[in-house]
Amino acid sequence: MTASTSTPTRLWRPRPRLLAILVYTWQSCFPLKRWAAILMPCVGALLFGLLSRAVDAGPDRAFANVAAEGIFGLVMPIAALVIGDSVLGAEVRAGSFYFTWLSPAPTWQIVLGRWVGGSTVALVTIAPCAAAAAFIAGSPSSAGAAFVAAAVGSIAYVAVFIAIGCLTRRTAVWSLAFVFLIERLLGEALTGIAQLSPTWESRAIFVGLLDNPPDRLVRDGIPQGTDAIARLLIVTLVVLLLANWRMRRLHLSGAMD
Amino acid sequence: MSVELPSDPAFATDATVEVDAVSVWFGPKVALSELSCSFGAGVSGLLGPNGAGKTTLMRAIAGLSGVNEGTVRVAGRDPRRDRSVHRSMVLVPEDEAVPNGLTARQLVCYSANLRQVSDRHAPDRALGTVGLLDVADRSVGTFSKGMRQRAKIAAALVSNPSVLVLDEPLNGADPVQRLHLIALFKQLGSDGRTVIVSSHVLSEVERLAERVIVLVHGRLAAAGGHRAIRDAMDTTPRHMLVRCDDSRRLAAALVGLDSVTGVTFEAKRDELIVQTLRAREVAVALPQLAKAASIRLLEVRPLDDSLESLFRELVR
Repeated sequence: MTASTSTPTRLWRPRPRLLAILVYTWQSCFPLKRWAAILMPCVGALLFGLLSRAVDAGPDRAFANVAAEGIFGLVMPIAALVIGDSVLGAEVRAGSFYFTWLSPAPTWQIVLGRWVGGSTVALVTIAPCAAAAAFIAGSPSSAGAAFVAAAVGSIAYVAVFIAIGCLTRRTAVWSLAFVFLIERLLGEALTGIAQLSPTWESRAIFVGLLDNPPDRLVRDGIPQGTDAIARLLIVTLVVLLLANWRMRRLHLSGAMD
Repeated sequence: MSVELPSDPAFATDATVEVDAVSVWFGPKVALSELSCSFGAGVSGLLGPNGAGKTTLMRAIAGLSGVNEGTVRVAGRDPRRDRSVHRSMVLVPEDEAVPNGLTARQLVCYSANLRQVSDRHAPDRALGTVGLLDVADRSVGTFSKGMRQRAKIAAALVSNPSVLVLDEPLNGADPVQRLHLIALFKQLGSDGRTVIVSSHVLSEVERLAERVIVLVHGRLAAAGGHRAIRDAMDTTPRHMLVRCDDSRRLAAALVGLDSVTGVTFEAKRDELIVQTLRAREVAVALPQLAKAASIRLLEVRPLDDSLESLFRELVR
């Protein structure tokens, strides 16, 4: 092979494979429209912070009540869903995922690279907005708890949505079904499901880290605070292992199929 | 480079890619049916009409999708199970999908990183090979179809693979690019690499490949050198429709031609169906014959000149 043009060639600096996958995830999986779709629910978090000022209670209790439902029950899952779909499902649907998949890269590196890429985006969008909402609500003491709960909850969600992307082509639809049917509907009724649910567990992290949380937010039968962090990290690990197992067996079809 | 063909032209000597009794189906649709063939060093053309199973076969070879029955081996390994196969094998699929937001250089560098290429000149060399070095810092999303295809080929070439599976790689390329790519593929083949190129255009495959595998409806229809394929097609009877202002007289005149093997008169529509093994000769003789007999030709149309119909004839 010989270069057919006289343009001087540029030296390229090789990267470790995992880092290359991570950089690719940031460069390719988040076009402008995706950022807009991620930031919209994040703005919603700020609005929930504002809304809690209208609640007739102390700012801490008001924010705790609004955040538990609005931020951890709605904003975080939706923003994380967009991120999780961006890092895998959208690319599988577009037909360009073969580019990464048909390589000697071990599947665990692909899964890990995509998850870390998506999680960092969640950590700079969802978690800071959850903390900022606490400040807007006039409850700065809740900001740390909101940040930690949103951070752990959203990285768990990204892992779940990557696993769903490995299981089905219709990632967004199945992810929505997971959030609203399994977590919200069944998780509300069954503690066994709530124990494994990023929504319920992140809410439990938030409530557990607050000094004086409203009693109605404390749910019996599921771990709270730091125990909930540990629980959610285990859930994340298991889900990533499932994603890796499925990733090896992917059947990719083109964008036109 | 000439390839020594074994007795069965569907199989290559020193095969690197082996397809053994492979069947693939999608619900009720059978995409490949007990297909057995192999590919070795040099350029092999995969020819067939749309829907023949070329893409399915290429995806199975690349390990992109599994097979329902049979086995696919690349250098003795299963491409679905052994991911190390992708160190030496690349697929350039037909569809236009390219990763979002990357420049051509970023795309090629990403491919190089995935395959742990250490040569620091490799990405620019690959881009230069396909003539994209001047636009290497432009987003591939802004590229034309042909340029995208070339960017994907550059990303494939960067790791210096020994097996290249190229699905309709000339689609969207302009004539100059086509010539360049054909020369490139031939060069890769003569370097001892296994290059599998699919196309539904016979003339394109003729220029590219020493060996051709013809697929129709997921089955092996023919295999061998392109001349053998062309001969097989040339010995297939062709049919042409002729309409004129005096069908009976023209039919009588046509029967006298050596190149015509049969004439059918469709009285209802006042048409002649001419059957021949040498369509080109008939096409030349027909106007002369009509002029000599003062017959006005209204329409002359090949009835089965499409590649699809020729393929169908081959599998009858």
